[in-house]
Amino acid sequence: MFMHIFFYRFKCLIRDKQLVFWTLLFPILLGTFFYMAFSNLNDEASFHPIHAAVVPSGNSHYDAPFVDVLRSVSKGKNRLFMMKTAASQAEADRWLKAGKIDGYFSSGETIQLTVNESGLNQSIMKSFVDQYRTSSAAAAQIAKDNPNALQNGLLQDLSDHRSYVKEVSGGGAEPNNVLNYFYTLIAMACLYGSFWGAKEVMDIQADQTERAARVNTAPIHKLKMFIAGSLAALIILFAEILILLAYLRFGLKIDFGPRTGLVVLTALLGSILGISFGAFISAVVKAGEGLKIACLIFVTMAGSFLSGMMYQNMKYIVSQYVPLLSWLNPVNLLTDAFYALYYYDNLYRFALNAGMMCLFIIVFCAGTYLIIRRRRYARL
Amino acid sequence: MIIHVKNLLKRYGDLVALDHLSLDIKEGEIFGLLGPNGSGKSTAINCILSLLRFDKGEIEIFGKKMTPDAYESKRNIGIVMQNVAVFNELTVYENIDYFCGLYVHDKSERKRLVEEAIDFVELGNFKKFHPKKLSGGLLRRLNIACGIAHRPKLIILDEPTVAVDPQSRNKILEGIARLNEQGATIVYTSHYMEEVEQLCSRIAILDKGRVIASGTQEELKAMITLGEKITIEAFSINEHELQQLRELSGVLSVQWVEKRLVIKSGKKAGSLEAVLDFLKTHEIGFGRIYSELPTLNDVFLEITGKQLRD
Repeated sequence: MFMHIFFYRFKCLIRDKQLVFWTLLFPILLGTFFYMAFSNLNDEASFHPIHAAVVPSGNSHYDAPFVDVLRSVSKGKNRLFMMKTAASQAEADRWLKAGKIDGYFSSGETIQLTVNESGLNQSIMKSFVDQYRTSSAAAAQIAKDNPNALQNGLLQDLSDHRSYVKEVSGGGAEPNNVLNYFYTLIAMACLYGSFWGAKEVMDIQADQTERAARVNTAPIHKLKMFIAGSLAALIILFAEILILLAYLRFGLKIDFGPRTGLVVLTALLGSILGISFGAFISAVVKAGEGLKIACLIFVTMAGSFLSGMMYQNMKYIVSQYVPLLSWLNPVNLLTDAFYALYYYDNLYRFALNAGMMCLFIIVFCAGTYLIIRRRRYARL
Repeated sequence: MIIHVKNLLKRYGDLVALDHLSLDIKEGEIFGLLGPNGSGKSTAINCILSLLRFDKGEIEIFGKKMTPDAYESKRNIGIVMQNVAVFNELTVYENIDYFCGLYVHDKSERKRLVEEAIDFVELGNFKKFHPKKLSGGLLRRLNIACGIAHRPKLIILDEPTVAVDPQSRNKILEGIARLNEQGATIVYTSHYMEEVEQLCSRIAILDKGRVIASGTQEELKAMITLGEKITIEAFSINEHELQQLRELSGVLSVQWVEKRLVIKSGKKAGSLEAVLDFLKTHEIGFGRIYSELPTLNDVFLEITGKQLRD
């Protein structure tokens, strides 16, 4: 009997094209739009090598060390310059005028920097020149005071630049400005699963649909009906969320960090949260299907907005000024769980979010049970 | 008794929907619940099926108290709702199989029953159709198939022919009669007196949540004074002659409406002859003559003072 109901509920739900669109295709489409809109954000924040040129003075005493240093910082993955050598100052001027380079260095006793405008790249070039002057002056002074230092690797030490601070995430993944948008998207998709939960309740409450009234006249406990239907809904929703995750991860190359198992577990929790939330609202709201769906959409979209789906900083604003709201917002709990898995090295924050989601699930399920356990109705 | 209802009281706030309703429905009969919209027919059915809470009264089905957990009784009940109650996402076959499966666990048995139900409502050519592709009449037949596929002993049909074309309506009524011939007890609610007259062996007439009369058609018609309604096309008649007509023996009332004389007479025979003699004697020209026996609407009209379809 349980399998009979499960099988047919599965068929009913999977064939509901509208629900499948809103819970699967819509998030995929929105994710694609996000990807197209946000793909440049990280690129803009990353450093691009500066197009520069050097004009040798013709005096190898001055040219050789400077050009060597320039070459050393113009190679490799993290190069500072895209360096070209100009035959003459006139040629370098032409390149500068044509916008092919941001500036050029003139080698000689005094290193000169020529730029057309001020900007970040020009400031970096000036810093480079200042540092070279300081280092070469220091090297000359040390060599004068201690000639043996040259043989002891003074020049290597001077050219060895190290960064002692590195930006890394606790979870071991690379920092990414746009991930939160995709996390809210997954959370929204999970909460859209509430439509499935709402449908399950509407199809067993005799005061809501004629179908449910007919089912209530059958010799079967309606809680059994509800559990079989909800299980079918959960399997469909969880599969949809996994498809969405796979599309984001492998199609759009969105990184979820190394904790794949916990990401999938969070998706499962989110799916249960979505179904139980929809069932609860459908049981509580004694109105037509339209109003129930409107309530679910409003809560989901408001929750998504407050979690940073439309404006990333909103998540931090809410956390800072109305922290209670961020703990009561199921979309934010899901978003934050993904966020914590990606950025945090320990699981404390993830566990807090997961715990809150479990609490919500228990409240929603208990509330739904208390309402739908009624076997006779005051009116139909 | 298949159904025993005693002193059923159901209130919606201040409105009394069922006012100490009592019914006894015997095995093998087609019992009609007739009444205008809002008379309490569907409320009574929903209380009997244990879907609605009621304030007072007793309900027994198959000799056992009816409750939401009375699964043994429920297993032998089939219900056809007033509105079509099927799943749009499932095909005709799947819908019938789904509802039948809530009663019958054995797969092969269920398959046979579903096929029989499809044959019974003549939907064999539409097995793989989704409900949205079916016409109103076919949808109603699917609705019936979903309610009867598990071969219940008691079938309750709540206005199954609302908004159905005459051809489909006849098919549905024929089908219900066949179900009864096959042994099922039928409870049929309607506000169409013609259907109830055609189908039901016993009838209860409801008004404002009360049974105002019950019995066979003959018993109900015997309760009223009206014996015959005579309509005569008369071209001209004056008020004095009308008054004389009213004074004829056996005549209950005479009305002159749009050149038609509508005469209601009692059960005593001979009224028509007396009226015709009067018209000839007074040289009142007349055309066609119609005579009708009383209907359930006349029963309802005489008891409540209003038309059944008010």
